[in-house]
Amino acid sequence: MATAEFGSHNWGMVVDVDKCIGCNACVIACQAENNIPLNSQDRVERARTISWIRVERYWEGDFPDAKARFIPIMCQHCENAPCEPVCPVYATYHNSEGMNVQVYNRCVGTRYCANGCPYIVRFFNYWEPVWPESLRNHLNPDVTVRSRGIMEKCSFCVHRIRRESRSARSAGTEIADGAVQTACSSACPTSALNFGNFNDPDSKVSKMKEDKRHYTLLDQFGTDPNVIYLAKIDADKKVGSGAAASHD
Amino acid sequence: MLVPVLAIGGLGVVAVMGVVAAFVITGWIGQPIPVLGFEQTFDQPIDFPHTVHASLKQLDHVPADGQAMEGLGLDCTFCHRTVTTQANAGVPPVGFCATCHQVIGADGNPQLDILRDAADIIGDDGPEPVNWQRVHRLPDHVRFVHEPHIRYLTANPSEVKNTTDGVATGPSGVCSTCHGNVAAMEQVEQVEPLKMGQCVDCHRDNGAPTDCVACHH
Repeated sequence: MATAEFGSHNWGMVVDVDKCIGCNACVIACQAENNIPLNSQDRVERARTISWIRVERYWEGDFPDAKARFIPIMCQHCENAPCEPVCPVYATYHNSEGMNVQVYNRCVGTRYCANGCPYIVRFFNYWEPVWPESLRNHLNPDVTVRSRGIMEKCSFCVHRIRRESRSARSAGTEIADGAVQTACSSACPTSALNFGNFNDPDSKVSKMKEDKRHYTLLDQFGTDPNVIYLAKIDADKKVGSGAAASHD
Repeated sequence: MLVPVLAIGGLGVVAVMGVVAAFVITGWIGQPIPVLGFEQTFDQPIDFPHTVHASLKQLDHVPADGQAMEGLGLDCTFCHRTVTTQANAGVPPVGFCATCHQVIGADGNPQLDILRDAADIIGDDGPEPVNWQRVHRLPDHVRFVHEPHIRYLTANPSEVKNTTDGVATGPSGVCSTCHGNVAAMEQVEQVEPLKMGQCVDCHRDNGAPTDCVACHH
């Protein structure tokens, strides 16, 4: 029962870039799960889109030997987060479960955090979110709808974590490894996205992050993210020799 | 508003400012004084007496046939069925009320006629929902789930606050902690402030998480 108690987990994600096929299912799943406003053409043109997770695409090599490379990027939930100390109202802080948390009702919309974030995963609501009438009843009741003027970002689907820990405590059991899945990781068809508890040495993510391909994004900034990436394996190159894998 | 205030002079200004100050101070501490639509009781479409259904005591309520009666002492979960398992306590559908009230209660009782009409027992306009007014409402940025609170208080009866005229054991006995003595209310009103300070105090006293995302996500 002890491990279902609050604060006994260190939630994190391991992203196996080698498995990512760039299908964007995670993006859509996140959009639907977290009541993210629709990125209409108008918003795209103004570069005001909101997507808590995005799949970045890079081209490697020159035509005709060009290869597409995909990397899903969401809030890295940094242990040493640049967004946290700049918030004047403590709307974003690090909680005892290893997550960087955004408290919508505290946020006053200074946007300092978004300017501080090197991963560009924080999004500001420039407008009141609106959905077409046909989508009104699709909103997730477990997730607050963010109004105009506040910042939002990936929450590691904290409502799902809360739900699982509640049912575990109700049943008097522990949260089983893999019981908590974020919207993106449950939608991923190739299991490139894996969510779990780093405090448990036997969990799937704890074992995966011991892989020699592991690296963290922009680690020169020393943000110590809770999202670990596993580098792409390229048949032409040695493992871990890519620019992104220079860490290991 | 300003013109008559100026016309009656400084005393009127002081009086208006006093009302405003009283509103702000009471609103900060608990419930604001009931002006400007800030009443904590609502006129329901049917004068549903919780006393008759939930209380175990002799009632002032006299039904149409003129005999004084005792409350039925129904468990809260008899009607609010999902409170022990889900986030919402749940308001029973009209058909659920009608399972009893198609036979119980005098014919021609005007309040029961509204219910029977809604349940399509009388009248010919088909079934329709009853538009109950919600009394206890938390802001949209709070995710409150009944289930863990009922579970904890049922396991720790010493933490239950307020007394109830209704059933005092099990889930029913714990509801009074936040909802007050509903079994004694002819018309339900919110008696506890149900503000974040009250939530956090109780969470702190009982070792529940006080992390922001416990409720705000």
